Amino acid sequence: MRSLLILPAVIALLATVDAEAGARQALLDGFATQAKAADSGFAGFSASRGENLFRTSFAGGKPDTPACTVCHTPSPLKQGETRAGKPIEPMALSASPDRYGDPKKVAKWFRRNCKSVLGRECTAPEKGDFITFMTGQ
Amino acid sequence: MPTPRSSPVPSLAVWDLPTRLYHWLQAVLVAAALAIGFLAPEWWMGVHVWLGYGVAGLIVFRLIWGVFGSQFSLFASFIHPPRQIWNHIRGLIEGRPPHAMGHNPLGALMVFAMIAVMAGIGVSGLLALGGVENQGPLAGFLGFSAGDIARKAHSILAMALLAMIGLHVLGVIVDSWLGRESLVRAMIIGRKRVPAGALLLNPRPARRRAATLAAICAGTAILIASSLAGMVPASGLIAMPRQAAYQEECGDCHEVYHPSLLPRASWSATMAGLENHFGEDASLAPETAQAITAYLDNYASEAWDTEAANRLRAVDGTAPGQISATPFWKRKHRQIEKSVFETKPLRGRSNCGACHRDAGSGRFDDQMIAIPAR
Repeated sequence: MRSLLILPAVIALLATVDAEAGARQALLDGFATQAKAADSGFAGFSASRGENLFRTSFAGGKPDTPACTVCHTPSPLKQGETRAGKPIEPMALSASPDRYGDPKKVAKWFRRNCKSVLGRECTAPEKGDFITFMTGQ
Repeated sequence: MPTPRSSPVPSLAVWDLPTRLYHWLQAVLVAAALAIGFLAPEWWMGVHVWLGYGVAGLIVFRLIWGVFGSQFSLFASFIHPPRQIWNHIRGLIEGRPPHAMGHNPLGALMVFAMIAVMAGIGVSGLLALGGVENQGPLAGFLGFSAGDIARKAHSILAMALLAMIGLHVLGVIVDSWLGRESLVRAMIIGRKRVPAGALLLNPRPARRRAATLAAICAGTAILIASSLAGMVPASGLIAMPRQAAYQEECGDCHEVYHPSLLPRASWSATMAGLENHFGEDASLAPETAQAITAYLDNYASEAWDTEAANRLRAVDGTAPGQISATPFWKRKHRQIEKSVFETKPLRGRSNCGACHRDAGSGRFDDQMIAIPAR
C-alpha cells in the first residue's frame, strides 16, 4: 500500500525537478540565441568566465556593492546576506536546487544586481556564463 | 477610664490596621512606580502599569475607609477649619505646634493633596495608556493627541508627587522631633501617646461591614466597567490585509516594514526612486511597483493613530524615506550602544523586529521590546 502512495509523490517530484531543469535549459538556450544574434563568433558559455564575473570587483556600479561576493560571499555554496541582514540562499545549484528555474526571477535579479554591481545591464553571454558556472558548482 | 497597667503613659489606638497597611503598601507601590517611571527602560512599562492599578485600588479603598473607617481615618475627622490650620502654622514657627491626636492640620492637608494627585496620576496614566499606547480599558475611546496631553499631565503630576513625598517626610521628621514622638512608629504600631490633660473623646469604631460591602460594590463595578470597555478594539489601529507583492518584493532584501511607519509622501518618493534604493538598484516591474505604491498609499501613517505612526510622521527632510533618520527614532534609540546595532541579529538600524517583537503589527508596544543578548 505504502509504495502506491510513494509512487505518485516520486513522479510529482521528478516532474517538478524535470520542469525546472527544462526551464533552466530553455533560459540558457535563449541567452545563447541572443549571444549568437549579437556576435556570430559566439562559441558557447564558459564556467570560468562566469566565475570571473562572480569574483571581479567593478568600479562602475554603486559604491556599496562593487562585486557579487559582497552579498553572496566568495563561496557559491554558502548562504549570503543582504546589506539589510536578510539571508540569501546559496547561488550554486547544488546547494539551492530551485535556482535559475523561474525566468521572471532570473531576469529581475540580473537586471537589478548587474546595475548595482557593474552599473549596467549584463549581456546575454555574461548571464549564460554566470548560470553555467553556478549550475556546475 | 481604666488605664492599662503595663504602660505608664496612656496611649490610644489611632491608626487602625487597614489604614496602616494602606499607608505602607502605598508607600512601596508608589516608590516602585515612580522609580520605574523615571528611571527604568521602556520595557518595564507593563510592571509600571500594574503598580498603577495597585495604587488605584488602594486609593479606592482609602476613599471607602475615609467614610467607613475608624475615628482617625475618617476624612471628616481631619478636615480642619482655616483658623486651626493658621494656628498650627504659627505654633510651628514658634517651635511649639499644638498637639494633634490624628493628622495635624498641615499633615491632613498633605494627605488630601497626595490622594488627589495620586488619583490624578492614575487617571492621566490610564488616559495616556489608552490614547498613546492603545492599551488598557480606554484604548478604544481615546486618540493619540488626547492621550499625549494626558501623558504630559501624568509626568508633571508625578514630579509634583515626588516633591510632595519629600515635604511629607520632612513634615513627619519635624513633627516627630517637636512632638517628642515618632510618627513613623505610630504608623507601624498604630498607637500614639495621650498627652496629660487631653480630652479623650469617644473614638468611633470602624464600620467594617459597610466598608466591605462598599469595597465589593466598587471592585465589581470597576471590573465590569473595565472589561466591558476592554472589549472595544483599540482606536489607533485599522484592519490591513497582507499584500503578497509587498511582502515578497520588499521582504526579499529587508524587513517588511509596517506601512504605518512612514507618511504617504515618503512612501511615494521611495517607490519612485527604487533604481537607487539605499545604495542598490531595487527596481520592480512597473505593474508590481504600481500595486505596491497603491497599497502603501492606503496604509501609510496618515491612516493610523498609533504612537509610532504619529511620531514617525515627522520625517527628516534630507532622508524622508529613512525611518531611522526621523528625529523621534533617533531620540528613542540614542541610549542604545552602537555595538548592539553592529552585531547580529541586528546588523544595522533596519531590523526593527530584532528587538520589537511586535514590529509586524505596527504597535511597537513598550513591553514587547527585548534587546537581544550579545
